[in-house]
Amino acid sequence: MRKHPETDLVPYLRGELPPAERERVARHLDECPDCRQDTDQLRELLGELSRSVAAPPAVNWARYRAELHQKLDARRERRAWWWRPLPLALATSMAGVLLFIAVWGGRQVPTAGDPVTFEEAAIARNLGLLEQYQVVERLDLLEEDLDLMSDLDGLAAGRQG
Amino acid sequence: MEPSDEALCQRAAKRDEAAFELLVERYQGRAYRLAWSILRNPEDARDLSQEAFIRLYESAGSFGGRAKFSTWFYRIVVNLCLDQKRKRRWWRPWGGDEGDDQGESFLERQPAPVTDPVDKLGRDRTMKDLWAAVDRLAPRQRAAVVLQVQEEMATYEIAEVLKCSEATVRVHLHRALSALRKTMKEKR
Repeated sequence: MRKHPETDLVPYLRGELPPAERERVARHLDECPDCRQDTDQLRELLGELSRSVAAPPAVNWARYRAELHQKLDARRERRAWWWRPLPLALATSMAGVLLFIAVWGGRQVPTAGDPVTFEEAAIARNLGLLEQYQVVERLDLLEEDLDLMSDLDGLAAGRQG
Repeated sequence: MEPSDEALCQRAAKRDEAAFELLVERYQGRAYRLAWSILRNPEDARDLSQEAFIRLYESAGSFGGRAKFSTWFYRIVVNLCLDQKRKRRWWRPWGGDEGDDQGESFLERQPAPVTDPVDKLGRDRTMKDLWAAVDRLAPRQRAAVVLQVQEEMATYEIAEVLKCSEATVRVHLHRALSALRKTMKEKR
């Protein structure tokens, strides 16, 4: 026997299934007593639910609409408040400050009077490229060699002296 | 000839107050009843259905006209109700049965049957038990049951309101009704 069409039973009872599907479910129900029993119970349950549809507590509709219009006016007023000159100017200023902080915050601006800073910035930008050159990598060693040479020069001068 | 809901909505989008007013009059009862069926609290149902009208006023221009107006508007109402349920669950996680946090007694929260009040006590009790079981369903399952039983919506319409597939709605309904059947079997 094919799979039980459990989730199709409600649409079947409500006549929502297309003809082919309806036919398939009906054939299954002919062969399957369990699904037939399920269908009967569902029919009964849906009937009970429909017959006992609840009525909510009564409402004074004139008052309901008056409340609705009050709420709607309050909402409009709140919206309108944001479009008044002062709040709009405040909001725009605040947005500008936040934007400035977001864009320029933490970014050091080099001054025109300090050219070394520009060089440092250029080196920093090209550090990856510079590290590829072996000479640059060995600059620190070269510095040590220069120190040693000056020391030796000093030593030699001392001996001569 | 009465203007259609869709035509009224288009006029409301252009800030036609009379059209908006007419839509409110047409849908106030349905919006309140739907919200109450999901929330089971008259104050919340009134607030949220009014909020749904405010949203309608503000976003009438976004109604594309592809779905029926009623489906589009019900989606606003149901979404507000489900959001409210989620907030309640967040703020009161210890509540367990989410139906018990409404500040009303159990009997006050039960739906008033529209059947003859002189019906047998046993039958009333069964209906109360049945709707109390509906109240305990997961919010989306409850919404699906309410939309089908109360609003008599087809599965594809419920799918549009809940913004999910028809297959998902079928699963919601199957699970909800299975749970209700089980509860009612235990009661009998």
